[in-house]
Amino acid sequence: MDIQQILFIVLSAIAIGCALGVVFSRNPINSVLFLILTFFAISGHYILLNAQFLAVVNIIVYAGAIMVLFLFVIMLMNLNSDTEPQKNWLVQLAGAISGGILFLVLLSALVSATKTLPVMEQGSNDLGLIKNLGKTLFRDYVLPFEISSVLFLSAMIGAIVIGKKEDKFEDVH
Amino acid sequence: MKAIIAATILGVIMMFSSILMKDKKAIITIAALLLAVLLGVNIWDVMATKKGSNFTFLFNNMILISREGLWFNMLMTGCTFLYVLLSGKDIARVGTHTAEYFALIFFILTGVYLLSSYNNLLILFIGIEILSIPQYILAGSDKKNLKSSEAALKYFLMGAFTTGILMMGVTLLYGSTGTFELTRMDFIHQSSVNGMSLAGIIFLIIAFGFKVSAAPMHTWTPDVYDGAPTPFTAFMATIVKSAAFYAFIRLFQNTFGGISNHWTIVLSIITALTLFIGNLTAVFQQSVKRMLAYSSIAQAGFMLFAILSNNAVASQGIIIYAVAYSVATIGMFAVLMKLKDYTYDGFNGLAKKEPVLAFVTTIFLLSLAGIPLTGGFMAKYFVLQAAIMQGQLFWLVIFALLMAAISAYYYFRVIIAMYFKQGNPELHEPLSSGDKFMLALTCVLVVLIGIAPQLFLASI
Repeated sequence: MDIQQILFIVLSAIAIGCALGVVFSRNPINSVLFLILTFFAISGHYILLNAQFLAVVNIIVYAGAIMVLFLFVIMLMNLNSDTEPQKNWLVQLAGAISGGILFLVLLSALVSATKTLPVMEQGSNDLGLIKNLGKTLFRDYVLPFEISSVLFLSAMIGAIVIGKKEDKFEDVH
Repeated sequence: MKAIIAATILGVIMMFSSILMKDKKAIITIAALLLAVLLGVNIWDVMATKKGSNFTFLFNNMILISREGLWFNMLMTGCTFLYVLLSGKDIARVGTHTAEYFALIFFILTGVYLLSSYNNLLILFIGIEILSIPQYILAGSDKKNLKSSEAALKYFLMGAFTTGILMMGVTLLYGSTGTFELTRMDFIHQSSVNGMSLAGIIFLIIAFGFKVSAAPMHTWTPDVYDGAPTPFTAFMATIVKSAAFYAFIRLFQNTFGGISNHWTIVLSIITALTLFIGNLTAVFQQSVKRMLAYSSIAQAGFMLFAILSNNAVASQGIIIYAVAYSVATIGMFAVLMKLKDYTYDGFNGLAKKEPVLAFVTTIFLLSLAGIPLTGGFMAKYFVLQAAIMQGQLFWLVIFALLMAAISAYYYFRVIIAMYFKQGNPELHEPLSSGDKFMLALTCVLVVLIGIAPQLFLASI
């Protein structure tokens, strides 16, 4: 077992452990903190896969910006562990069964997958640098990149339409 | 490709028109004009490709332009044009941001065009998102109405969840085939038909099932369709749903068609459930708007036949079904918007007060029920014929016919209320002659699809 495999196993253990922590912790603040740790572990995986830029972006965007938003919302809503709604056991059982079945399906899918890839990308070191990413983005994936602007534009319109204060109602006739 | 660019640009123009103009009537006129331009661009697109010509690939095989797809685009743009002409005034009545609503409709059309031409799972994903996000906004546009906000939130949460499932399916397919490109995904080799790709396909079925409101992923539909402002419900239930179906059939017929034995059983159970739940629940509704929501679930059950049967008649069937169902439903909702009371009782005695309105409503309902000489009959005929040609779906076809018989009950209830019951239905405003003309035109279209469906398939 070489160092990369050890690193991979350690990072995976942290990621899975923290992800479980997100689900099981009673306090929403703890959940969010666990989620941050999960993102850090996943960023570690990206570095192992030689995607340095993705790792940095993951930390800045997810662990930084989005998590701060999460914390803000939780603090504004003033959620406590005792305000958590209690589900009845039937719903919990149904959830556990269907979730378990999904887990089994995904597990069998993973086991039956024929390709096994190395845990670390060897090859060239500059694979995941922003230069290569930009080239791929603007050469091979230029259409999805450009067309997603329509998506963002409609989201912005949505923010204005829903967020703006409605002034006096004028009639069409 | 011209249409995609045109729809985006016209959407932006639409958006900025609110700076220059405050008058809502002018904005409606501009929207109708721009849609006419867009329809023209679509016709130009169709004309520019020869009949029976090969596919054209664009942008690194991201997009596959086929004549069938362009034809579908044109028909859907035509339906949108009809929709704006019929219910433009009602759209303006929803809230203050009229120009933005129309702009969002243009962006949804961009999504429609992407979904009829994608050749890459990434484009499929972006297309579905462009189709969905404006819908969440439109559903919540009536801010003074609590039900509208509830509908938007519900739709958004469920939709976001489904987006996750769609992405998961795409990821699993990528994992097993090593490509996002549909024409390069071959399932001939046994190595790529494994648990991973099959799980991916099931995830895609679930995600698409949600978008087209197939049972058991239909639970959002009644609340959202009921809560959203009626003009936008009309749009969501017709053009958007048809586009989602077209994307569904393109993926499952062209790419996964070769391994249909792996997913047919799952989809046939979904189809049976959709028909059963949609039709039976529609019977018990008291509000016509809610009944139409359930009826749209039931109609989705019929459209699923086209995907199940996986042959050439099916792809014609889905186009005919999309048009026939869209035109009749747009008309039906346009009638509904004229009335103040959305319950069955609100229709009581409509025939005496507004004979024209009652007559066109009858034609739309007959079409939805699938009575011969209307578009709905031909649509059902095509998809069921495709299913029989497939050979193994005979039990499902018989079940569907039984369910169609049940559907006649709740459609005819409205007709009975209009013609045989006494009452004084209240209208928002008296029908103008323009309204009457547009409703009559829609009515003629419904009958035309029933008499000459080949006209609507002529150019494929």
